[in-house]
Formats: sequence, C-alpha cells, structure tokens
Amino acid sequence: MRSSILTVICLLTALSLAAQEMTVTVDAPPSAAAGERFRIIYVINASDGRFMPPAFDQSFTVSGPQTSSSRNVQWINGEMKSTSTTTLIYYVVASTPGKYTIPPAQYETKKLTVSSSPVEIEITSAGAAPAQGVRQGSRQEQQAPASGSELSLRLLLNTREVYVGQPVTATLKLYTRINLSGINELKYPDFKGFLREDIDTPPLTSLESEVIDGVQYGTGVLQRFVLYPQISGELRIDSVHITALVKQRTGVSDPFFSDPFFDSFFSNVTTVAMKVSTRPAVIKVKPLPEPQPADFHGAVGSFELTSSLSKTDVEVNDAMTYTLTLRGTGNLNLAGEPVINFPQGIEKYDPKVTVKSSGTSTGTKTFEYLLIPRNTGTFELPPVSYTVFDPTQEKYITLRTAGYTVKVTGSAGGSEASTPVFVPGEDVKYLGQDIRYIRNGDSGLDLLSSPLVSRTYYWLWFVFALFLTAVILLLRREQMKRNADIKGLRNRKASKVARRRLSKARSLLDTGKPELANAELAKALWGYLGDKLAIAPSDLTKDNCFAALRASRVEEGVITELDLILSATEYSRYSPSSEGESPAGLYKRAAALIGKLDNVLD
Amino acid sequence: MRRVTAFSILLIICLLQAAAQTPEERYAQAGQLYSSGDYSGAAAVYRKLYDDGYRSEDMLYNAGNAFFKSGDNASAILFYERARLIAPADEDINYNLQIARSRVTDKFETVPELFFVRWFNFLSLLAPTNTWAVTALLLFIASLLFAVIFLTKARASGRLLSFWLSLAALILSVLLIALAMNNNSLINKNKKAVITCSIVTGRSEPGESSSELFVIHSGTTVKVEKELGDYLEVQLPDGNKGWISRDCLEKI
Repeated sequence: MRSSILTVICLLTALSLAAQEMTVTVDAPPSAAAGERFRIIYVINASDGRFMPPAFDQSFTVSGPQTSSSRNVQWINGEMKSTSTTTLIYYVVASTPGKYTIPPAQYETKKLTVSSSPVEIEITSAGAAPAQGVRQGSRQEQQAPASGSELSLRLLLNTREVYVGQPVTATLKLYTRINLSGINELKYPDFKGFLREDIDTPPLTSLESEVIDGVQYGTGVLQRFVLYPQISGELRIDSVHITALVKQRTGVSDPFFSDPFFDSFFSNVTTVAMKVSTRPAVIKVKPLPEPQPADFHGAVGSFELTSSLSKTDVEVNDAMTYTLTLRGTGNLNLAGEPVINFPQGIEKYDPKVTVKSSGTSTGTKTFEYLLIPRNTGTFELPPVSYTVFDPTQEKYITLRTAGYTVKVTGSAGGSEASTPVFVPGEDVKYLGQDIRYIRNGDSGLDLLSSPLVSRTYYWLWFVFALFLTAVILLLRREQMKRNADIKGLRNRKASKVARRRLSKARSLLDTGKPELANAELAKALWGYLGDKLAIAPSDLTKDNCFAALRASRVEEGVITELDLILSATEYSRYSPSSEGESPAGLYKRAAALIGKLDNVLD
Repeated sequence: MRRVTAFSILLIICLLQAAAQTPEERYAQAGQLYSSGDYSGAAAVYRKLYDDGYRSEDMLYNAGNAFFKSGDNASAILFYERARLIAPADEDINYNLQIARSRVTDKFETVPELFFVRWFNFLSLLAPTNTWAVTALLLFIASLLFAVIFLTKARASGRLLSFWLSLAALILSVLLIALAMNNNSLINKNKKAVITCSIVTGRSEPGESSSELFVIHSGTTVKVEKELGDYLEVQLPDGNKGWISRDCLEKI
C-alpha cells in the first residue's frame, strides 16, 4: 500500500513537471576571435529528456559537452515543489572568420520536444579586438573581460597620454572563469621606445574573486611594471602572451549521472595549454616642451630636492660628504646628475648614486659627493639648482637647495702641519676655446683707394726731385766758378762801372757842369784802368798803367790817346778856362777810348 | 600749399638720410647686432661695408668674428686673413684665425715660405702702402739734398758726413719703395683665396670632364696660379695644383 502511495506521488510530480513549461535557452557570445575558445551553454529546465546537440559548423572544433544537472525540491505549506535544471556546456574553437548560425538544439522528453532559438555568432580574425562589450576608457581597471570568455589577459595602464620620461604603471592581470593549474610562460613584447622596469610582484598563488558586469571572475596580478617612454610619438605596446594551463574534462559524461563530485573522480581531466594575449595598446607620448632649461637633466615627475653637508668646519684633507636627495614620483632612475660647481680648492669625487624606490616610481635618489678640501680658507658651496619637468603642471620647475659655507682650517698639531708641505704650482685650468670678442672702438674706416705706388704722379715726384737737384747743382757750379775768379769779376765789372760813370758825366755835361763832368770822366778812366789791369789804387799811376797796357799788347796809338785824354782832364780840372778841348769833345774821346780798350783787353 | 611742399621735402630729406647711414653708423650698428647675438645680421652689415669699399683692421676683424659665430667658418677665415694683411702683428686676429683654422676639415703639411720672404712680407705689411710710399719719397728727397750739400760744400768734414747720409737715405728709400710695392701686391693683388664651397673637387684641366685630382673643403686657403674662364688653377698649401671652379673660392 505504501509503495502505491509513493508511486502516486511520483506520478503527480511527473505530471506537475509536465505541466510546467519546458524551455531550452542558449547562451553564446555574439562574437569570438578565430582560434579563441568560447562557450556555448544550453540550459534546460528539465532533466529527464534527451539533448540533441545542434549541427555545429564544420570549421568549429567542438569539445564537450560538460553536463551538469541540478534538482531542487522545496516543500512549501506541505506542498512539494521540484525544479530541475540541466546545463550543457560546449567549448568551441572556430578557425575561420565569418558569420555563422548555430541551428537550434532540441531537447526531447517522452512527451514533447523543445527547440532552442538559433544563435548567430561572428568569428573575427585572430588578434582583432572582439567587438563585444569592452569599454575603452582612460582607466582600464573597470574594463571587464569579454563576457563569455573564460580566460583573458589584460594589460592595465594607469594613463595613456604621458610626457617623455613620465612613468606609466602597467599591471598585467589575468581574468578567468575556469580552473587554471598554472601559468606556463610569460612572454613580453619588446616595448619599443620604452624602458621597462619590473616592480616586485608576489607570485600568483591564489585568485581573487571579482565581479564585473555581474559575472564572477577569478583575477590575479601576474606582473606589475613601470614603463618610461624614451621617445615621443604614438608608441604601440604589442601583446603580452602567456600560456595558461587549463584543466579540462575530456570524457563525455552521462547526463543522467552527472555529478560534479563524481565527475572529478571519474571523468578524464587533462591539462590543456591555452595561449592568451593582451590586446595591443597605444600610448601617446608627448615631447617635453622646448626650450629645455640648461639645468634640466631628464627628471620628469614631481620631486623635491634637499641637500645636506656632513660638516661645515673641517680640517684640510679631511673628507666631508655632500648629499643631494631627490625625492618624489617620476623617472628617478633616469634623473641625471646635477651640475654643481664646487669651489676650486675642494677636491670632488664622482658621486655615489643610490636609488631607493618603494616598488613603484615613487622613491628617492641620492647623490653623495665626497669632498676633500685641499686648501684652508672659507669656501662657499653654491646653491644647487635642478630643473625637473612636472607633467601634471605641464611645466619645468626649478628646485633649489641652500648653499653652505665651509670653513677649512689647517690641521692643528697634526703631523702634516708641522712639516711644511711643498705645494707645486698648479696649472691653470683652461675650460674651453672661443674666439675673442669684437672691437667696439673707433672704426678707422677708410674708403678703398688705389695706392700711391700704382699712380703715375707719385713716380713723377721722384723724377721732378731729381731734375730739380740737377738744376740746382748746375746753377751752383756756375756760381762757384765765377766766385773763384775774382779778377775776372773785376774785369767784367770794369766796363760796367766805367759806363755808369760816363753816363753820369754825360748827364752833368748836359746840365751845364763841365768841371764836375771832367772829374767824373777822370774817375771813370782811372777806375776802369785799375779794374781792368788789376792794379791796386795805391799803385795807380800813368807809368804803371802804360806799362801794364803795353804788356797787354795794346797799340801805342791807343796809349798815346789815353795819355792825351788823361792830361786833358787833369788840365781842365786845374785851369777851368775855355782854352784847350771842350768837355763834350773830351767825353766823346774818352767813351771811344774805353770802347777800344774793352775790345783789346777782354 | 607751400608749407606742405616744404614739409614734404623736409620729410624726404630726412628719409634719405636715414636710408643712407654713414659707414660709421653702420659699423656701430653691426657691433650692436653682434652684442645682441644676431651674428648673421652683423655679418651681413660688415659684408656690405666691405663690398662698399670700406676697410679697416677692426672692421675686418669684427666681420671675421661675426661670420665665425654665425657658423660660416670659411668667410670668417677669409676676413681674418684680410684683417691680417692690414695688421699682420695683431695678436687677436692671429688668435681667432688660428681657432677658425682649427675647424677646417682639410689639414695640410704646410710648406713654409723662405724665412727672408716671410720676414720681408711681414715687414712690408707693418705699415700701409702709402706710408711706405710717402716715406720713400721723403727719404729720396733727403738723399738728394745731402747729395747737393756734398757736391757744393767746401769744407771737407761736412762733405764726408753728407755723403754717407745721402747714400744711407738713398738705400733706405729704395728699400721702402720695395716694401711699398710688396705691400701693394700682397694687399691689392693678393693671389691667395679661401675655398667657400663646402666641398670642391680639384681637376687636372679646366672643365668638368677632366680627371679628378683632389677634394678640398671650405675654409682651406689656396693660392691662385692661373685663371682661365670660369676655372682657376690653385695651388694647395702642400704644393699640389688643380683646377677648380671660380664660384667656389673668394680671393683674400
């Protein structure tokens, strides 16, 4: 009896089940990449039928189904309610791109057959971004992996637009909905244009649960690293590839005996290597604004600079440490050494550079200079100015530190001080070579003119000077000749003087003074004779004159005539009466005589 | 109406004066351009002054500096060489010329001139041509005067002195004429030239088709031996000769 009641209950249940509407729903991604594995899930709210899978396209490689069924029995107000669900999961890999339609699948019970709706699926070419719901945003943290793909890899970048040198933090994150047994291989692209620096990332041991768009994923960070762009432009980051090991059931399980618990024991579980890649990303790298300040050494980020000096009172040859600390966020590793002009007399060694960063691009960079003063005195360590580029403010910022005054004293009582140290003269340091500065004084400009040597008149001056000299010399020579001969001079002068006296006598005669005229005639004759015959006036007598005239071969007639005239002039002087010769006749005779004598004596 | 005409005439005169700066003003302007860092602008002004026929040691030196700073090393050498002809002993010119020459691509084992040629050239460049010429003329006249004294003076002691003075002045005058002529030929008939093309090929004959002998670069100083049409035969500092195009060099 009891068993019959149970049977009735069972029948009732079956009836109630049959009464409930039976559906077959399909869940498939609208698109998938060729070669990518995707799932097609059929859910049937019944469990006692037979599932007839659809005819998949020839190019699809189908594995599965993975079948699971569940039954839920509820007792509500003494009434039993039972629902059962069967889920079939097919793993499909499509090899050729194109649009495909998966025909309806059917579920057949003893009473009725239910069909699912056909599904359209687009297979895109490998590598192309799936068109499904991935939102591109500046913050990719929110990006959900494609719904329906069980395993995906994302490269999350904190920013997509940076300046050269500005660090980009990248996180390689894995999203999975299937069981992974491990990551086999992690292959990075060559990050062209970037400098990659890995951040210590703990090894992935367990996945965290994360719900994105209502779908639960197991997520894990594989690697974090910082990228420092080195060149400007649109830099492409190629895909990162990993090979994940996926646990997969290969045996076809019986729908009537599908229990996950048993499955794990009895179905064949193999590990399949699956390649997953990130999508390539593009980062826009802006160049640093020009002009770059002179003391800019490549530091990009927000920094502060501090300096410290171990001591300000030192002894000669005693070392001290000057430390510059650059603290902040940015490309610390690439920040160059500041230029510090330490005063002469303090020896500087190359700095010890240490970079400490807390896993990301934030940290400190220290430059430790060992300074050894070699001379005593007071030295000024100049303030250091160091320019960095702040990408958030988009401008160069000059950081400055304070200067120091160092007192260097001679080592008191030290062995070095007691013995005089011979310091050889130091060579002057030449820092560079450049031309000397222009001159700003008076221009002294001259207009170009043809030089004197190329002009004729210049040479004519020489000829003229020579000619002039020749003339001067000739004239002078003549003069000298004459001066040397004084006799000749008197001789030449004799007739001139005589003539002058004659003409004077003539004029006296004309004015009616015959006595004076006669006297003048006598003077003319005697003067003429003295000059001509070179007889000194003291010796001037008639005899002397006649002797000299005879010596000059003057005719006797001329001498007689001369005697007559001289006597006549003397006679008329002492007896000025009218007897004897008239003064006019005497004058004529005297003039004629001088003319004759002139002809003979010269 | 008359006022307007007068005013406009005044304006035109003012404009003309502004346009026609004196060489001194242009010189000063070039100096200011140089000081403010506009080296190529300064070089252009100096160049114009040179082309207009103005010469001075300082102007040529400054022009060399301006060309050097504006990157035209060949022109810098050209102008330093020109400045050195006017002031061969100027230390700044020689120093800057040496720096400019150190940037020339071609390095030559220079064959030095005979020492007395070098000294004679140096000596003849110590003063301008006309100074030598005028001094020579004055000395010649002095020599003639002493000769006159010698020939006319009666006393023996004075005659001997004037004889020697006349002879000395005559010899000195001849020497100075030689210096003047040499100075003139160095400055105004200089055969040296500076290569201005960045690279130029020396050929065995005038013309593009003959075989190539050497390649020289801008800034190299060569000596022009012959001229034929558009080609010049030049001698390199090491003694080799070749024909190059006239456009590729500028005479000092």
